[in-house]
Amino acid sequence: MLIASKKCNELTDQEVVDRALREVDYFSCLYERYEPALLRYVRRITGAGQDGAEDILQDAFIKIWRNLRGYDPGMKLSSWLYRIVHNEAVSALRKQTSFGKNRTVDWADAEPLLLHHLLNEVETEEGSIPAEQLHSWISQLPQKYREVILLRYFEELDYEAISDVLQIPEGTVATRLNRARKALEKTARATLTPNQKK
Amino acid sequence: MNTAHKLVEQIKSQHIAPRPQWQYTALKWAVWTGFGLTVLIGALAFSVILFTIQQVDFRLLQHLGHSWLEGLLSLLPLIWITFLALALLLSMYTLRYSERGYKFTLARLAGYSTAFSILLGTAFFISGGAQQLEQAFAIRVDLYQSVQEKKEQLWNRPGEGYLGGTIVRVTPEALQLEDFEGQTWTIDYAAADWPPRIQLEPGEAVKLSGEKTGAARFKATFIRPWGGQPLNGQQPKMRPKE
Repeated sequence: MLIASKKCNELTDQEVVDRALREVDYFSCLYERYEPALLRYVRRITGAGQDGAEDILQDAFIKIWRNLRGYDPGMKLSSWLYRIVHNEAVSALRKQTSFGKNRTVDWADAEPLLLHHLLNEVETEEGSIPAEQLHSWISQLPQKYREVILLRYFEELDYEAISDVLQIPEGTVATRLNRARKALEKTARATLTPNQKK
Repeated sequence: MNTAHKLVEQIKSQHIAPRPQWQYTALKWAVWTGFGLTVLIGALAFSVILFTIQQVDFRLLQHLGHSWLEGLLSLLPLIWITFLALALLLSMYTLRYSERGYKFTLARLAGYSTAFSILLGTAFFISGGAQQLEQAFAIRVDLYQSVQEKKEQLWNRPGEGYLGGTIVRVTPEALQLEDFEGQTWTIDYAAADWPPRIQLEPGEAVKLSGEKTGAARFKATFIRPWGGQPLNGQQPKMRPKE
């Protein structure tokens, strides 16, 4: 018996976890609550298609279920879920020969925060950077920079949450973000032709 | 059937159960016990290093026959320094893998591990435990040269002006001293300098600096207590190895 969405929505994350441990059907609440964001994240970090990303997410959720008693309520549940999904995605990514081969990710919803930041640094004739272009630059970044950019600007996680997801100190998150932005700017400057720039 | 439903059905059909709570509790305990043990080992090593520094007079380095670096390496408690370094590395590693260990930078992890080992080690050293540990180690490990052995070697070079041993007799003109090899020396101490805290009486262990004036005669220019005695004032009674 699947739990109705209405009933799920009335419960907090912790309540869902507690109930799921008593009755597995409540686990579906957790999946439904976080699936859209996590699926999008998996697609962005792996460059996988819809089916591939769903498989990765499904495997990640089996791990989440197996480790549900290990969840520390001192941490945001979303950060813990992102951590497991991230590790599963990175592990899947390592099995691929190259990042985003045959990718079909729609980057049209790319978070404008990063675009604004880049636009301040690299002004273009059009005044905006096409999502495909941005995707291309991000995909050229080393994995450790790509993941902080995705988590900060696309998933909109704060430094503390990113630190919990990647299991690195917050200071390291800040340093990596800074370097990642610089690397992006450098790539952007090198890519944009002179007549594209103002 | 939506994906959430499929997931729950998969869990049910494959009888996938969450790991039991005790596994997480055991892991937590294992990590913190590991951290405690490595800090303890680091503390013991640090206390013996302190004991060595207290015992060995590094100023003698310049008078040793070989190079300064060679002399320093022979005097440093390298085995304990290695223990300390390994223990610090392991305690950093275990702390890093504690529940929130990833929040700490490498410098902080090193700082915490070092601070705990230094505090505990200093307390152990002050309590006199370092000397007992060092001697117990020397008795059980044949290849290990104890601090006392190193020190005796350093102060058993009368030809170079260094002599150590135990006073067996005191007269106004001379001291009778038995060195660490059992040889008795007559010490002229008329011109010697010695601190007021030293008791020139039979049974007192001392170290002398001066000049060898005969086969069993030595003229002292200064006399110092054998030094580095444990704070409870007891002279080590056991000789580690013959």
